[in-house]
Amino acid sequence: MHPLSELDDFFAKVPPRPRLGLVVGGSLSQGVLVKLDPGQVPGGVIEDMAVGRYVVVEGKTGKKFFSIVTDIALDSTNPDLAKSPPDPDDAFLADVYSSSLAFGALKIAPMLLLEHEASEPKPVKTVPAHFSLAYPATEADVNQVFGPEDAQHWHIGSPLDMEQVKVNLDLKRFVERSSGVFGKSGTGKSFITRTILAGIVKADSAVNLIFDMHNDYGWAVKDEHGREFKGLRQLFDNGRVQVITLDPETSRHRNSKTDGLLRIGLEQIEPEDVEMLAGIIGLTEVQVGALYYLRRKLGPDWIVRLLDEEDTAAIQELEAEEKVQKGTLRAMQRKFEMFRPDRLGFLSLRPPPDDMVEYIFHALNRGTNIVLEFGVYGNSLAAYVLVANYLTRRIHEKYVDMKNRAAGRRGEEPRPLVITIEEAHKFLDPDIAGHTIFGNIARELRKYNVTLLIVDQRPSGIDEEVMSQIGTRITCLLDNEADIKAVFSGVSGAGQLREVLARLDTQQQALILGHAVPMPVVIKTRDYGPDLYAAIGFLDEPAAREKRKAAKSALYGDDD
Amino acid sequence: MLVDTAVTIGRLLRSATTGYVFGCSVPEPDVPRFGDFVKAPAQRGRTNVIGLIYNIVIEDDAFVRQMVATPDLDEAYILDQRLNRQVPIEVSVLSIGYYDGLGNGSSAGTIACGLPPQPPVTLDSIRPCTQREVIECTGSFEYLRLVLNAPDAPADELIAVSLRSAAAMRPPEDRLFFLRGAGRELARLLSRDLPRLENLLRRIKP
Repeated sequence: MHPLSELDDFFAKVPPRPRLGLVVGGSLSQGVLVKLDPGQVPGGVIEDMAVGRYVVVEGKTGKKFFSIVTDIALDSTNPDLAKSPPDPDDAFLADVYSSSLAFGALKIAPMLLLEHEASEPKPVKTVPAHFSLAYPATEADVNQVFGPEDAQHWHIGSPLDMEQVKVNLDLKRFVERSSGVFGKSGTGKSFITRTILAGIVKADSAVNLIFDMHNDYGWAVKDEHGREFKGLRQLFDNGRVQVITLDPETSRHRNSKTDGLLRIGLEQIEPEDVEMLAGIIGLTEVQVGALYYLRRKLGPDWIVRLLDEEDTAAIQELEAEEKVQKGTLRAMQRKFEMFRPDRLGFLSLRPPPDDMVEYIFHALNRGTNIVLEFGVYGNSLAAYVLVANYLTRRIHEKYVDMKNRAAGRRGEEPRPLVITIEEAHKFLDPDIAGHTIFGNIARELRKYNVTLLIVDQRPSGIDEEVMSQIGTRITCLLDNEADIKAVFSGVSGAGQLREVLARLDTQQQALILGHAVPMPVVIKTRDYGPDLYAAIGFLDEPAAREKRKAAKSALYGDDD
Repeated sequence: MLVDTAVTIGRLLRSATTGYVFGCSVPEPDVPRFGDFVKAPAQRGRTNVIGLIYNIVIEDDAFVRQMVATPDLDEAYILDQRLNRQVPIEVSVLSIGYYDGLGNGSSAGTIACGLPPQPPVTLDSIRPCTQREVIECTGSFEYLRLVLNAPDAPADELIAVSLRSAAAMRPPEDRLFFLRGAGRELARLLSRDLPRLENLLRRIKP
């Protein structure tokens, strides 16, 4: 038998794990306190820490508590130390004090329990015992938690300072419930959303209907440094993504390939489509009530007749009936000015020849993802809300019908659908969320195979009940207290993560929590670029040419 | 039996578990000194009790009283009185450790910090600790607690002097590390008394 030292030489010694400190108190609800060791350089351990990092606490019974750092503090064994600190010029005293009386402390939130023989981590229901040792999580620990990347697990980023470790989003679970991407303007919401959407398309875990307000998803987009990134239509050039535009001229100018044109006839617009615009175009409660009356009295072309300046007989007749006050109708006429086709070019006086709702519905059911590109109309919130509401209501209706048929075994199950909307607080405002289609979709979960992916910078503007139904929340930097509070609404124990969220970098960092990840995780988001393109299977032109050549050669042999 | 070749610097007058007092004639310039590490055999030579000198008392006697009052005292009388004293110089030692698990031979045992199982007995010879013994005895800082809790010893002075001499016995490259460790232990023990701690740290800093 070899002596131990020889075996060590042969297999190479495993370096001891650097210890962070030991558990000295805390609770499951408030977080566990870890007193940090002074480290090689006193104070060095604390300065190397960051909220959002992972820590593993080895309990006294061999259980490993996988935890996230939620707060970092300076502490001392004697409160008087703050009043009479050592002279910083006296290196000896400073060194002794900062490695004994003064120490760093971590507050960690245990999230998962890793047991020796269990294949999967379990939710934490207790805390590690006093004086259990805490270590920085290794790549192996993190991999054990987040699992390998596979067909349904999409690499979305890496934990902070662990670039080799992949944090994978469980796409099947992600599309099961409505999800949200939140963050201040300019924090990279669109890039994360595009990465997630690319994963969903690749994995075919759902089909997407994307209301692309700022032309971010369909075709090429440039960042603030002028670098160009490919849109979904470019990455999936096999017809799995189609771009339908409301503004063909802008699409042409952007060299964006489009697959269809959306036109909405004014006669196709119902009062329910306009109701959601009340806050945007300034309709009062009385005026909203009058919408239904007008539709009933004036018929399908109620908007056309309301806007008709030549033939005012119908309006005068309504005024004469005195069901609606004269002033109300006049005010509504003014507010309906935005529906004039010369202001919103995608509207037309007569119904367009193609039924785009039907087209989109069938495309979605074939597995084709639809990006609705707004072009210049993205600058008009009213246009965006009108179109999103108009299409979603009708497609959801068809989904409900199809699902009911499937339940009665008279048809196939509709494909799971994810509807991506931006500026979501305009659709899910507490005043309207209770009775709009988007509020319904968020609340009914996956009952009809339709969920939302909401992208928003003001989550505090979203109805609380809707927020509590958001399964997975991907949050970039938020600094408004109300927004931070909103993101954590309905998440148990999330209060501890507030600091984590408030300290994210301004770009390429996000906190993910909820249904699609085993535990909250702060990630450096995956670069949206060539590596991601390659992971999707996209070939740039030279590579594609090579592939074509190889295929041709395999079929017909070499020319020479 | 312990075999020790170190020079005897005195003989034991009285002892207790917590410490002992030995007597000696006129002190040499180098021994005994405040803060020195000394040892006394105990348990019939099976162990040595290691201690720190914390007080040296030179008592008067009848001759000294008379001579002090004598005008124009001859230098020869002074020298004679010092060398042939009637009353010994009393040196108080605080016990801080002892050889543990020692069967035979002083170099084979390890030094345990703490109070010895038995005190040394009268007239046992007292010797200075060797460099190895000082280094081993101060390898852990447990003795600091004993010193701080000693009711009669000037604890802060004793700690400062003993630590500085223990550091001086170590290789130069180890001294800072040693004193830093001692400082941390003192900070732990005196965390409630910051002014005292700061004073002590200033005394031991290299």
